Amino acid sequence: MTVLELREVSKVYGDGPAEVHALADVSMTVDDGELVAVMGPSGSGKSTLLTIAGTLEEPTRGQVLVGGAAVSGMSRNDRARLRRRSIGYVFQDFNLLAGLTAAENVSLPLELDGMPGKPARAAGLRALEELGLGERAASFPDELSGGERQRVAIARAVVGERRLLLADEPSGALDSANGEAVMRLIRAACHSGVGGVVVTHDAQLASWADRVVFLRDGRVVDQTAPIPGPESLLAPER
Amino acid sequence: MSIRHALLALLSEGPKYGLQLRQEFEARTGEVWPLNVGQVYTTLQRLERDSLVESDGAEDGPQTQKGFRITGDGEAELAAWLLTPPDLSSPPRDELVIKVLIAAQLPGVDARQVAQAHRRYLVQLMQEWTRLKEYAADRDLGFGLAVDAELFRLDAVVRWLDAADGRIKRASLERLDADRAPLPKLPRKAVVRP
Amino acid sequence: MSVLAAERPGPVAGRGSGAPARRAVIRWGWRLFLREWRRHVLILAMLAVAVAATIVGLGASTNAVQLKADPTFGTASTVIILRGSDPRLGADIAALRARIGPVDVVAHQQVAVPGSVSTVDLRDQAPGGRFDGGTLRLDSGRYPAGSREVAVTRSTARLFGLEIGSSWTANGRTRRVVGIVENPLDLLDQFALVAPGQLAAPTSVSILTDWQPGPGDGLRLPSGTGMLISSRGKPGTAAVDAVVLALGTLGLLFVGLMAVSGFTVMAQRRLRALGMLASLGATDKHVRLVMLADGAAVGIVGAVAGGVAGLAAWFAFVPTLQSLSGHRIDRFALPWWAVGVSLVLAALTAIGAAWWPARSVTRMSVVAALSGRPSRPQPAHRFAAAGAVVLAGGLALLFFSDHGSEQRRAWFIILGTFATPVGLLLLAPLAIRILAAVGRHTGVAARLAVRDLVRYQARSGAALASVTLAIGIAATIAVSAAASDAPRAAGNLPTDQLMVYTSPDTPSDQVPPLSPSQLQTVTARLDALAGAIHARAVVALQQAYSPAAGLQPAQPGPGGRTVPAGYAAASLSQVTVQGHAISISRVDPLYVATPSLLAYFHIAPSAIDPGADVLSARTDLGGLKIFTPEFHAGPNPQPGSLPAGRAQLWDVTPRIQAFKQLPLYTSDPGTLLTSGALHRIGLEAVTAAWLIQAPGPLTGRQIQTARATAAGVGLYVETAAKQASLAPLRNWSTVVGILLALGVLGMTVGLIRSETAGDLRTLAATGATSTTRRAITGATSGALALLGALLGTAGAYAALLVWYRSDLSPLGRVPVANLAVILAGLPLLAAVGGWLFAGREPPEIARRPLE
Repeated sequence: MTVLELREVSKVYGDGPAEVHALADVSMTVDDGELVAVMGPSGSGKSTLLTIAGTLEEPTRGQVLVGGAAVSGMSRNDRARLRRRSIGYVFQDFNLLAGLTAAENVSLPLELDGMPGKPARAAGLRALEELGLGERAASFPDELSGGERQRVAIARAVVGERRLLLADEPSGALDSANGEAVMRLIRAACHSGVGGVVVTHDAQLASWADRVVFLRDGRVVDQTAPIPGPESLLAPER
Repeated sequence: MSIRHALLALLSEGPKYGLQLRQEFEARTGEVWPLNVGQVYTTLQRLERDSLVESDGAEDGPQTQKGFRITGDGEAELAAWLLTPPDLSSPPRDELVIKVLIAAQLPGVDARQVAQAHRRYLVQLMQEWTRLKEYAADRDLGFGLAVDAELFRLDAVVRWLDAADGRIKRASLERLDADRAPLPKLPRKAVVRP
Repeated sequence: MSVLAAERPGPVAGRGSGAPARRAVIRWGWRLFLREWRRHVLILAMLAVAVAATIVGLGASTNAVQLKADPTFGTASTVIILRGSDPRLGADIAALRARIGPVDVVAHQQVAVPGSVSTVDLRDQAPGGRFDGGTLRLDSGRYPAGSREVAVTRSTARLFGLEIGSSWTANGRTRRVVGIVENPLDLLDQFALVAPGQLAAPTSVSILTDWQPGPGDGLRLPSGTGMLISSRGKPGTAAVDAVVLALGTLGLLFVGLMAVSGFTVMAQRRLRALGMLASLGATDKHVRLVMLADGAAVGIVGAVAGGVAGLAAWFAFVPTLQSLSGHRIDRFALPWWAVGVSLVLAALTAIGAAWWPARSVTRMSVVAALSGRPSRPQPAHRFAAAGAVVLAGGLALLFFSDHGSEQRRAWFIILGTFATPVGLLLLAPLAIRILAAVGRHTGVAARLAVRDLVRYQARSGAALASVTLAIGIAATIAVSAAASDAPRAAGNLPTDQLMVYTSPDTPSDQVPPLSPSQLQTVTARLDALAGAIHARAVVALQQAYSPAAGLQPAQPGPGGRTVPAGYAAASLSQVTVQGHAISISRVDPLYVATPSLLAYFHIAPSAIDPGADVLSARTDLGGLKIFTPEFHAGPNPQPGSLPAGRAQLWDVTPRIQAFKQLPLYTSDPGTLLTSGALHRIGLEAVTAAWLIQAPGPLTGRQIQTARATAAGVGLYVETAAKQASLAPLRNWSTVVGILLALGVLGMTVGLIRSETAGDLRTLAATGATSTTRRAITGATSGALALLGALLGTAGAYAALLVWYRSDLSPLGRVPVANLAVILAGLPLLAAVGGWLFAGREPPEIARRPLE
């Protein structure tokens, strides 16, 4: 099932001579269980693509469908509801709300959606435990390491029954070991049926994806073919 | 890749038989670099000739039954090798680099498209390595290290492609500008210093 | 497959927010409040100070300005005074009661104080009267009962050395003191109280009633004797006083501005977190709720803290205010409704102030919020246009409020006082732009500081607004205090002077001449007295009389005393001729400018214009004549009527020469008759009084000594009468206003600069020294203070010009010193303060706190 579909999406900032085409006729789909990386240098429009896919911004032209529903006709409140029910975000560095513990951060989207405090907290704790952060549940963000913060953010992005995970350079501020751990978690989330989009300029990060979409100057210029099985590399000698 | 020093390293742990050496080599390099028996014995013979290792078995017995032990010279050689940086000063003759260089200078060829074709191939390769790492790297340290090495190497090439892409783009923009703008005036009195 | 969102059963129907969402969001707001309490302390303190100041201001203005009842009238609207000599007093009172309804009757008798010109009122008044109940209060002991008991005020007790249990002989009767009483509406009212009906021969009887004399509605007494009817206007039925209203409005506006400036900074800090919340799927309502929860916490805590602090300050201030205003103040007599309303409004204001920046956060895109980019400032000219309109509207409302009249329009006052500063504040961004344009040509620090003010217009505008308002309040107080300060010094005498008279009726109309031997005795005694109180000078004062009139017969004087036979003294008088009737009212006694008196005032005789008749510092003497009776008045002179025909002296219009160094006290010899005039008119001088100058304020014991000495030689002493004056209160408010402005300035500058720690870090990284940092902070606070001072003072003058529209002359008295402090001193102080306090390297430079 397709969880995200962009149909000829364009985004123009400013007008007149100051007009900037951030995205031009971008089309792509993400199925559930699939991790797609959008790769491009800075200024290629990849962050804009993510915010449009996440209903934080509206495209100038084109259509965004999340779980089959067109976003363009929705009110601000409907889009907020869509975000808290279906979309999880992981940003590069600033992810957690100070003043809330890790568990509260994770359960916040559930509570925003009207789930009473106790079950929401329990669900949050479960999500943290699945990511091996059970014992840090009561810690505040400033007591967590950078890697732990990103992992809490992933827990929050997938808690409940989210179907779409959007990550913007999720391991950008981390060392490679922590970055790998974060990508493994995102992979694991996708294995459980979530559709994921990671935007990055880093080929190593992008190589975690099932499919890599190359973005240049706001256009999709290329994408990788589906990966053969892992044995292919070792095949010549076997 | 120096099989010679890899074997010395294995022998520094203790005396080993030839077959055992081959198996351990493959295991330690994560089976990324397969090795045939012939290579192993040729190398061992040369090591023995240079008296870096010594064998305990009969002179004419089957090679597979021979045990090998590292000598004092061998240990010194190994230590010196570990600390000697490989020769990276002269650029390797890289086919990919040459292709992009040529594409950038040929009229009628989109060098950026060429770069993207290579990039896609490289990223696909990286995806495969990453997939391998995802399944296996936690179980085997040597394999993890080897895969990382390959990934970083490919990543470096991708980055070079990205940089090249940017450079080509800027150059084409400048060429456009240069075509439009009049040639810059050169200073009349150019003093050439010896 | 259909919509994902619909796959999951929504726990709450409709918009899907529900109580759990609100709880979660409010919890976060509360955590932020706890987490950032250091930042909140500033806003809380500002709120609390503003609320406290409003409460004290409300209490002071209600109790000092507006009295529930009049000290003389009580709650009555009319007082009818009958002469005690009325032979059918009882019948007259009964007739009045039948004619005008319920009345309170108070009989008065004057008791002379030996050796003093003052008298004490012996009062026959029933406690708990219908109208005058508020003018009598028992402090200790009990009310007198029967003919042999009396209660006295503290001042009377001091005067006669009485206490509860001692006995007091007054006007020939001895009574026992059983209680200490007071007039709570006038603590300076000096009297003694006897039981009702125990005053046999009253001097006068006051009848208090709420009857109002209408046109042609004359009263006639059965006895046919005359009476004096005085009415006051409608008792203060207007529930709200203009001053209280204006003050309360300003106070709340102040609270609101403080809070807005604080929360704007806070919202800026939280911009990314709020964007994050929105990206998690919080609706705009949720985002606003976070700030509102924070605002409510700040508002409620601030209002409660400010309320407690304000009440404590008010209770502590009541005794001071009591002695300043001269009437008893019930510490619980606060305008509770106004206090309650201002507490509630303070909390609501904080919530509203939090709502405003929250609203602008929800109006920007989530992406912009997430990246922490402030939205572009609104164009300044739009604000300026709105500001000009609102300012004009506010001034117009004040203009048409008719605040001085009975039909004042309360809403006009409220809206006017509200709109005027708001309009002024909308002009703030324009002012900042102008400052930036000027600052472009200065050094890098000032340029950077001013550019920051422009870039972060939302917070600098609010900060400037609160500084402007604080300074505006200070300037308004200073200017209006100066405007309402009458140029003529209040009071009869300064506290370090004694006047000793030969006649008990002072300043004398009729001066009994002393024989040379008498004069010698008196002078010797007074010299001894002067020695006893270490007096610096004793000056004999002479008055002038016409020898043609001769010695006038003795007359009854105040307090049952007799004014001995003497010469009728010349005075400056208002002489009005109406047909055959001529009315004369004495304005100022004239003392002869003897060389010793001139020397006392440091006036060289050569400085006196030979043609001048009168020397004075008073400026209100135009149209007055020198009046000297030139006839024998006879045993029973009718006041204000004279036999016709001998009018030549009435027309002497004096040439007045001004001498600033002459005193303005009413009993001081401040209006002098030159010796030239004495000869021109043909008058003679007679010693009438002595002025004794003490080295410092006279003590009670020294006054007692003086009275005893005077009583011994048949003289009468006058000392400074205690007088209620609000002048110290005004000075205090000026000081407090300026301090408040400084405090607000410090807080806001601190708040702004703490927000630009990032810039400071960059500056430090580029090698800026602490001098640059100091210069930036100093320039920021100096610029804000300068703008605030200019705008605030301009606004204050604009409002006052409208307020005093009927008579602008009071505004001519400019409080130069205060305004100089505000306009030059305050910016300087702010700049220096910013310079000094910015020296320490902020810890944020080294370490950026997690957001």
